[in-house]
Amino acid sequence: MRISGRSFEHGNVLLCVLCTILVVSLIGGNVLLNCMTRYNVASSQVRSWKESLDAAETGGDIAYAEIRKTILDPTHAFSGWTHSGGVYSNSAVTYGNDSLTTSGKVDLFYYDSNGNPWYRIRTKGTAPVLGLKRVGMDDRMGPNNRGDSLLRKIDFNYDHFVATYGPNGDGLNKALVPVSRPQVTRRVELVAAPITPFEAAIKAGGTFYGLGSAAYVDSFRSTTGPYNASVKTNPSDPRYVDSRVGTVQINTSVGTIMGNIYGNFYTNGGTVTKNTTSITGIIDNNVPFTLAPFLMPDTSDWSYIPNPTAVTGNTTITPPAAGSATNPNYYLLTSFVTNGNLTVNPYVSNGTAQETYVAIHVTGDVGSNTGQGATITVPAHVHLQVYFDGNFGAKAENIINTSGYAGNLQFYGISPTDPTVQQTVNLNSGGSSSAGFSAVFYAPSANFTINGSPDITGAIVCKNFYSNGNVHWHYDRALDGQGDAVDYRVISYVEDIR
Amino acid sequence: MKIKSSQTVAGFTLSEMLVSVSLSSIVLAAAITSGVTLQKSFAAVDNYFSTQMQQIRIIDYLNRDVKRGLVVTTSVDLQSVTMSVPKYIIQAGDPEAIADPETIGMARTPTVAYTTSGWQVNYSPSTTTVVYSISGNSILRTENGVITTIASSTDQLVPKSTDVELANTEYANTSVTFMPIFSSSGSVASRSGTSLYATAYLRNKRRG
Repeated sequence: MRISGRSFEHGNVLLCVLCTILVVSLIGGNVLLNCMTRYNVASSQVRSWKESLDAAETGGDIAYAEIRKTILDPTHAFSGWTHSGGVYSNSAVTYGNDSLTTSGKVDLFYYDSNGNPWYRIRTKGTAPVLGLKRVGMDDRMGPNNRGDSLLRKIDFNYDHFVATYGPNGDGLNKALVPVSRPQVTRRVELVAAPITPFEAAIKAGGTFYGLGSAAYVDSFRSTTGPYNASVKTNPSDPRYVDSRVGTVQINTSVGTIMGNIYGNFYTNGGTVTKNTTSITGIIDNNVPFTLAPFLMPDTSDWSYIPNPTAVTGNTTITPPAAGSATNPNYYLLTSFVTNGNLTVNPYVSNGTAQETYVAIHVTGDVGSNTGQGATITVPAHVHLQVYFDGNFGAKAENIINTSGYAGNLQFYGISPTDPTVQQTVNLNSGGSSSAGFSAVFYAPSANFTINGSPDITGAIVCKNFYSNGNVHWHYDRALDGQGDAVDYRVISYVEDIR
Repeated sequence: MKIKSSQTVAGFTLSEMLVSVSLSSIVLAAAITSGVTLQKSFAAVDNYFSTQMQQIRIIDYLNRDVKRGLVVTTSVDLQSVTMSVPKYIIQAGDPEAIADPETIGMARTPTVAYTTSGWQVNYSPSTTTVVYSISGNSILRTENGVITTIASSTDQLVPKSTDVELANTEYANTSVTFMPIFSSSGSVASRSGTSLYATAYLRNKRRG
């Protein structure tokens, strides 16, 4: 009897203990379940969501590299990509320990007024979602909100984007496409814009010396009116903001500044010497950049006009048509003699001069720095681009651009293929003459020298810059969007959050 | 025999009863207190995890919009963030949607324009304004008047953002803190210990 009574009492206590453990375990288990679910979201879904953007942007980098090749290495641009309907596509690239995949499409969607192509890059990046195949606990937060799922769209069974918007997001070819495993896909759209050469007044990949103790570099914007020397010292003038952007940028540490620079001065690791107080803008000695050799643009679709083929003495070009920025009148000149005199006239229709576009490729030197040098005359309405393989020599006063807009007369020095050959651009104003010119030079491999005291409107990109005259150099801010593309930069980014 | 014996064994004295009831009460009180405390603790842990997820969500939302933004402005008290983002998707009421309702939800094609600030890429003449703000215990995201509650917690979530302007772009620093409910003291350290930081750069050139 006693044993039986004790047995009953023990069972009662055991039951109480078990019940307590059960209740506590249920509470604890529920908490653990919640924590596990949230951990699953944090460790797997959030990570995949972030990684998929990384993959999409990686795809953007891959596409961007191909676009840059269209300038820097044209023969290998988009090698291995498929081209259909004006769109380049690459097959999916898998990388990283988490098996991220990315693919992209590139299409040329716009030509600017210089005839430079703009590219749109659309890429998608996909990251697998590991862990539990379920949405998070915060999937619904309110009657009209969907918490996590509104932000992180996970494809557990089907690709929601293809099902809702079609593979290209244009509403066409919608389909239920199963996914092999849960995944997150994010899409970005980038726009790669051409970098035009003349974003600074003077840009030198090497050293800089100049311009002369009484010289100065300033700026204006031709679209708001002609150059006026008094604007840069008159803060109340509305054009004042454009008058102090005569930026000089060099990629070495050696810069000897003479005269005044109404703008910024950038070097690569330098300590600017001489008259730093005469620089009105920012002095930054930590602005490195690279100037790639300038290659002759692809001429495979250039249809040359037969004559002339050389500039010997006085030579006049009168194009048979107006042409356009993307399809100018092409000429091939095998020589431009030392004292050659070239005039390019506009195309005239019904007695009216038309805006005429001309591109000339000179396979040798243009003039020389001895004697008179080359003379080039460009009347109003003519937009001339001159590509030269050799050296350039002329007097500043003999570069005549009647329109006064520097963008209408562009010189491009093709970089020598032989690294031992030093290209030169030599301008001499001719004694005491202050007559100058309006033109731009892009010659990243050339040493640029200018003497005398010419009045110049334009911009120059060169290797080493030397000037010992009292040059007055006016940079036209309207030039920052002019000229042939020398590289590309991504200027627009948008994520397709559908 | 049995009855007699049973009566003898089953009997409790008053003192025995008092002692046993007292002990039982103490044990029961201890058990109930432990249970309630455990439940509170579990609830606090659960809440902490939940609020942490909301911290992450706030940061993720903000970063996504900052990266595609054209300009970001933080209020003086650092409690709200306003940004403009490209109008990439055609929405109901847009001119394209009025002309062709089928285009709702579709992406726009970019256009290019040259301005005094240089070349610009636009998807629409106007941009979309996105505002992040605090309303009571909720963090709201408002896009073109449509309000989405992206976080809501009794743990006093507080996001603070600052935007830093650079030469051509800017970046936004964001921190989100909350006051854990199991911290009865309400000390500064309790809140600062939950800080989550993030920095996101605008991918676009800043406008304005």
